[in-house]
Amino acid sequence: MKIMIVDDSEVMRRIHRNTLKEQNIPDESMLEAADGAEALKMAISEQIDLFLVDWNMPKLDGLAFVKKLRAMGSYSETPIIMITSEAAKYNVIEAITAGVTNYVVKPIRGNVLWEKISPYIGKKGWAAL
Amino acid sequence: MKAQYINPFLNATMGLFKDFLSLEVKSGKPAILENPKDLSEVSALIGLAGETTGAVVLSFSHDTALKVVSLMTGTKYAFLGSEVLDGVGELVNIIAGNAKKDLNDFRISISLPGVITGNNYRINWPKGVPIITIPFQSSIGDFTVNVSLKEAV
Repeated sequence: MKIMIVDDSEVMRRIHRNTLKEQNIPDESMLEAADGAEALKMAISEQIDLFLVDWNMPKLDGLAFVKKLRAMGSYSETPIIMITSEAAKYNVIEAITAGVTNYVVKPIRGNVLWEKISPYIGKKGWAAL
Repeated sequence: MKAQYINPFLNATMGLFKDFLSLEVKSGKPAILENPKDLSEVSALIGLAGETTGAVVLSFSHDTALKVVSLMTGTKYAFLGSEVLDGVGELVNIIAGNAKKDLNDFRISISLPGVITGNNYRINWPKGVPIITIPFQSSIGDFTVNVSLKEAV
């Protein structure tokens, strides 16, 4: 199983990675991308099982990335958790309409984030863990 | 500038520092920033666009910037490297994004954050709009959140 962390902030990628590591998710199961364009390229070359995606990023933002991903047959049902500072109701509606599975507003503590992530990992039955 | 435009930024800042960083912060009385050059050595800024325009600047001393990002990541930083600047930028991003929830008069989008360092820099604030500075005190040092936002007509 592969989890991709898509965030232009190096610090946020590290924080999310640490949250996953604390739950014994192995390093080799995590991929990182600094923007939607990079993430899209990576997702084409390797099938990803869960995405953690920021909204505001250069090149291709999180919303546009989600729309492109959903348009690809292989990612029509893959869980996508948007983790963003964007807290306005209209942002949440826009993201859900675009195909986001779950919407999480930053800042979020690691244990709370894990509560949001773990159901999707459970569904896939992460046998390796 | 009306309190309804300042309070969302004040509340978002309090929430970020208290709930996420577990840091007790005390806010002072918002005031007009008389001299726009009166900011500290590390300032993270973000633009607001859409149905109004504006900017938000989170400003720390060098030392407080290091301490706040150390708190955020659990890593101790000794100098203002890319990770510290990135962390400070992320903080202003969170404040601006969270404040949008309570800015009900407008639909706005936020820019990518930028960070400026130094002792003598100038920010191109929106013209003709006052800049409101909100002072905060904390155990790791004082800082300010500075907001300039065109009001709804």
